[in-house]
Amino acid sequence: MPEATTGTTWLDDLRAEALKAYEAEPVPTWRRSGFWTTSLRDLDLDALETRHYELSDIPPPALADALGEDEVGAIIVQRGATTIHVEVAPELTEQGVIVCSLETAVKEHPDLVREWYMRRLSHEEGKFAAAAAAFWTGGVFIYVPKDVKVERPIQTAYVIDEPGVAQYAHTLAIVGENSECSIREYCLGTAIDGQALHAGAFELYARPGSNVRLAHFHDWGPDEIYDISTKRVEIARDAHVDWVPVHLGGRLVKQVLDIVTAEKGSDMRHTGLYFTERDEHLDLFTTDRHEEGHTTGDTVWKGALTGNSRASYEGLIHIVPNAQESHTYLQTHQMLLSQKAKGDAIPSLIVETDSVSASHGGTVGELDEEQIFYMMSRGISRPEAVRVLVEGYFEEVVQRLSDEGMKGLVRQRIARKLEAAEDQVAEFIDSRVRVDKTAPPAEVAP
Amino acid sequence: MSLEIKNLHVRIEEREILHGVDLTVEKGQTHALMGPNGSGKSTLANTIMGNPNYEVTDGQILFNGDDITEADPDERARAGLFMAFQYPATIPGVSVANFLRLAVNARRDEPMKVKDFGKFMRENVDMLKIDPSFVSRYLNEGFSGGEKKRAEILQMAMLKPEIAVLDETDSGLDIDALRVVADGVNALTGPDLGSLIITHYTRILNYVRPQFVHIMLDGRVVREGGPELADELEEKGYDFVREEVAAGNA
Repeated sequence: MPEATTGTTWLDDLRAEALKAYEAEPVPTWRRSGFWTTSLRDLDLDALETRHYELSDIPPPALADALGEDEVGAIIVQRGATTIHVEVAPELTEQGVIVCSLETAVKEHPDLVREWYMRRLSHEEGKFAAAAAAFWTGGVFIYVPKDVKVERPIQTAYVIDEPGVAQYAHTLAIVGENSECSIREYCLGTAIDGQALHAGAFELYARPGSNVRLAHFHDWGPDEIYDISTKRVEIARDAHVDWVPVHLGGRLVKQVLDIVTAEKGSDMRHTGLYFTERDEHLDLFTTDRHEEGHTTGDTVWKGALTGNSRASYEGLIHIVPNAQESHTYLQTHQMLLSQKAKGDAIPSLIVETDSVSASHGGTVGELDEEQIFYMMSRGISRPEAVRVLVEGYFEEVVQRLSDEGMKGLVRQRIARKLEAAEDQVAEFIDSRVRVDKTAPPAEVAP
Repeated sequence: MSLEIKNLHVRIEEREILHGVDLTVEKGQTHALMGPNGSGKSTLANTIMGNPNYEVTDGQILFNGDDITEADPDERARAGLFMAFQYPATIPGVSVANFLRLAVNARRDEPMKVKDFGKFMRENVDMLKIDPSFVSRYLNEGFSGGEKKRAEILQMAMLKPEIAVLDETDSGLDIDALRVVADGVNALTGPDLGSLIITHYTRILNYVRPQFVHIMLDGRVVREGGPELADELEEKGYDFVREEVAAGNA
């Protein structure tokens, strides 16, 4: 059992409560109507431990590929249980921006942390939410004071690169009134021979009039890294958050992603992407929650599945009583690229007031063979046609990523996954063509 | 340089649509294949291009003497065949320019330099009097009928096929759009291009003058002749041809 005390009384009290909840809760299995079950029966939780590492002057080399080379305003990296690297550009410090580990912030900025910590999260949201609340170490704290425009992105990374690791994570970000910034958080795993767990919590408070671009890039790599996390974004009066979560790998990922337009005039755009392969299992539940009237939302999620993978996306629009004049829509699309992949994409709607506009739609589909034929009729080979069609399908989401580096990274990772799946995609397309070309020609009456 | 279709039998699902079609298009020639709805015209176009949903059960398609009956559509295209689609597919997220670059480069050993490609595209856009902003739109997404056909003709111009099959390129067009398409086809017609214009109506033939006309009924080419055959058809209609064929067979 990881150490739950930090030496800060108010926090230790909260952690003690979370620990109680953790111990009381059984390991969950998530079931939904239909065939969908997310189970942790293959995860040997008892074999995992929190692991500390040496500090490092540079981010781990394995990450250089993902993190890119564009200039950032701040970077903070947590490996296992330890914040190994923090770098903040002097101009950010001059602007009053704080980027540090949450551990450090508890000591150096106790009032700020205490004011905002877990405002929108609870340790009562299940065993792993309790685990993250009870056991987090390191962590990330981002504070942008009011009336500040942060030019370069603030970049955070959680890294798992060894088997046997349990990483309990917590990011707390506050963007002050009328401020602007871009935050991108990477969750990265390397090839590890064994199991590991990331149990994470993320909370962002976009204060009145602020404008935040937020990206989450998850790629836990090809092995057995599990991710069970909750992310929540609160948008205050007249503020705007543009959130782009990207999921590109992990043995099992179960995430709850909520975006709350909490005050009048708040506006959100939420655009997600996932690509599952091999025997990966992805289970996403997003909520677009309108707590006040005169709020607006726009949610689009797109996914693709290869191999034997499973992916389920459920997206809920929830408009509470008295949130009149909310305008929002949600769309979800899923594309199957192999015979054995299975998934679903379910939009749903709870509207508890009148005078709103809320619409939703969902599709689960396959590559259109007429599109492939059309492209091939122009001389484009089938693998190339598939790549272009899948890239085109995702382009709407990729375009919403604010920086070129991450756009390039997402495109490159998708191309790599498609290349790895080339044969099964071809087989899948062939299986759906009405004519079996391998069969001998049938006798035709003269 | 030619496309030769010999005794072609084609079925889709369990039903035979073409019952032995013979047709030859030489480079430099313009042919019109005419027939009523359901006569098998589009089946022939799709089969020439290698649509996997159409099964050739007998006969051959030869291109420049090579048997391409079993070739994949991309091989046929790279060999110099082109089809302008009656209903071209929408390719979301891929601009006309990007699509053209992929298609042009697919038939080259070395990809064209971005600058050279831009120039090449502009020349063709100008020649076909297309609005330059057109190429930054996603291919066929939200295009009007006329815009779709224009995109097909632009592709044809840039891919420079030896033989082009234009499947009902005139369908669903108003008279202005029809002229644009016809002007495009006329601009491309010459000694380096053989074309097979497939159409139900004689409208487009008022603008594009074929040297050879073939009439298809119920999966067979039943009459062939020069441009005067189109005029006769315009005057008398398909029923006349049908009666004539019935009488001839009787």
